[in-house]
Amino acid sequence: MYYPEPISKLVDSFTKLPGIGPKTAVRLAFFVLSMEEDDVLEFGKALVNAKRELTHCSNCGHITDKDPCNICTDPNRDNTLICVVQDPKDVIAMEKMKDFQGRYHVLNGAISPMDGIGPEDINVTSLIERLKDEEVEELILATNPTVEGEATAMYISRLVRPSGIRTTRIAHGLPVGGDLEYADEVTLSKALEGRRDL
Amino acid sequence: MYIEELSLVNYRNYDRLTIHFDHKVNVILGENAQGKTNLMEAIYVLGFTKSHRTPRDKELIQWDAEYGKIKGRVFKKNRSLPLEVIFSSKGKKAKFNHIEQKRLSDYIGSLNIVMFAPEDLNLVKGSPQERRRFIDMEIGQIEPVYIYHLNQYQKILKQRNALLKDLQRRRTKDTTMLQIYTEQLAEHGAAILFRRFRFLKKLREWAVPIHLQISRDQENLKIDYLSKVDVSESMDMEKMRDTYLTEFNRKEESEIERGTTLIGPHRDDLVFTVNDRNVQHFGSQGQQRTTALSLKLAEIELIYQEVGDYPVLLLDDVLSELDDYRQSHLLNAIQGKVQTFVTTTNIDGIAHETIREAEIFTIHEGKLVENNGLDR
Repeated sequence: MYYPEPISKLVDSFTKLPGIGPKTAVRLAFFVLSMEEDDVLEFGKALVNAKRELTHCSNCGHITDKDPCNICTDPNRDNTLICVVQDPKDVIAMEKMKDFQGRYHVLNGAISPMDGIGPEDINVTSLIERLKDEEVEELILATNPTVEGEATAMYISRLVRPSGIRTTRIAHGLPVGGDLEYADEVTLSKALEGRRDL
Repeated sequence: MYIEELSLVNYRNYDRLTIHFDHKVNVILGENAQGKTNLMEAIYVLGFTKSHRTPRDKELIQWDAEYGKIKGRVFKKNRSLPLEVIFSSKGKKAKFNHIEQKRLSDYIGSLNIVMFAPEDLNLVKGSPQERRRFIDMEIGQIEPVYIYHLNQYQKILKQRNALLKDLQRRRTKDTTMLQIYTEQLAEHGAAILFRRFRFLKKLREWAVPIHLQISRDQENLKIDYLSKVDVSESMDMEKMRDTYLTEFNRKEESEIERGTTLIGPHRDDLVFTVNDRNVQHFGSQGQQRTTALSLKLAEIELIYQEVGDYPVLLLDDVLSELDDYRQSHLLNAIQGKVQTFVTTTNIDGIAHETIREAEIFTIHEGKLVENNGLDR
């Protein structure tokens, strides 16, 4: 299909986003043409700013517009508890819950030799440094329950073991409000494994 | 269980086809290259969501079509249930009772199938990979959790092998990760091994007497599990895991040197012996055939025992490969209780009352041209 160059460039840019195929990209590009100029400018600015003004917190690795981030500098949070997650989006999910009052550490990845990602490629060294300085008593490993997440959690727990700091792994099992009969066998057997006394 | 109805849309050489099957024996008659095996494959895919002939789902869709669909109605446990598998460029969907099943392990088992095709002779004389595939498919049908362990095992194995390559080329020296993968592999490996042993024990109980019968009390079949690790059926899962761990520790150096995982269920094999002779290497063509047949017949009984319902049996071009005695043994064994599909180019070669009572469908160039049975 022949489009004027500005449009084809825009289409090309949209296709770089996840979940957007060529057809959606064309639709979005033409929609942009019909938008108010101010809105388009704002959109462009928002894109650039998101990239320019956000960095990773030098302490915890979370995305932030000021370094160290709000969570790290919050005096009301519990310093003895660190929750380790794979991705900044996981911090946001945890924060929505509002129940967790400790600090975070974002790995920005998981160990996967297949993809050439070793322990040195994720944010582990700074975690170990943090454990030396801060008065941490418990490390909650909240990486994803995938092969990579599981292996990463085990790796960290081994690194930390000599320090004597308690490491815990989040539970797997049934979703809250779910029916037992609809759970698949694997989840059920995990839930049974992780049962506890009442 | 039996298939009441099958419809195909844009599947291989079929544009559109709907067939009502008899719940006993169905004969698919036709010349070569008319689509008999495609029809068998379609039934197989309805059970397993993948073909026994190709790993590429795309091949199942008709040449210039956007999507392909297989629908069926299965009668089991006094209910008639719809199944559907849809292939498109976006991937595949499997629906059970109109509801999409996202996990393979949730769908498999909806329709139990035992297939016997000429390729199955390779089960005995082919590579270890084919025997592992056989055992994995069969356990998966009965016990979906097995598929989960197998998937996890494969993923961990890939990571572990990648790491061993890195260690081999000295790109990393860290063996902590290796230990972690080893432990995870041993965990899932033991879960797999334990289930394989349990399955084999049951399979033997059926296969050995069946083999003896088919061979007219001449042949004593033995089925053994061959592993490089010293494990046995009497061990519990924990003991198996510990055995793997010890063995992995012993092999660590050579695994790094070779850059790959040297032991585990993915390297094991089955050994069939008849009268103390290895059938794979020293058995006659006939003995290999009888062994494959005994295993398939044992599977039918085993699925009945585990699932509480007989599977559907697909006989693709094999009746003509068996001599009269084996042929009638096979047909007697299934008589009246197992819904069976038979493909053949010529019905005269099969002289058995079961076939005379069968419903016959004639296929020509991807179309059903004649149906001798009741019109429904």
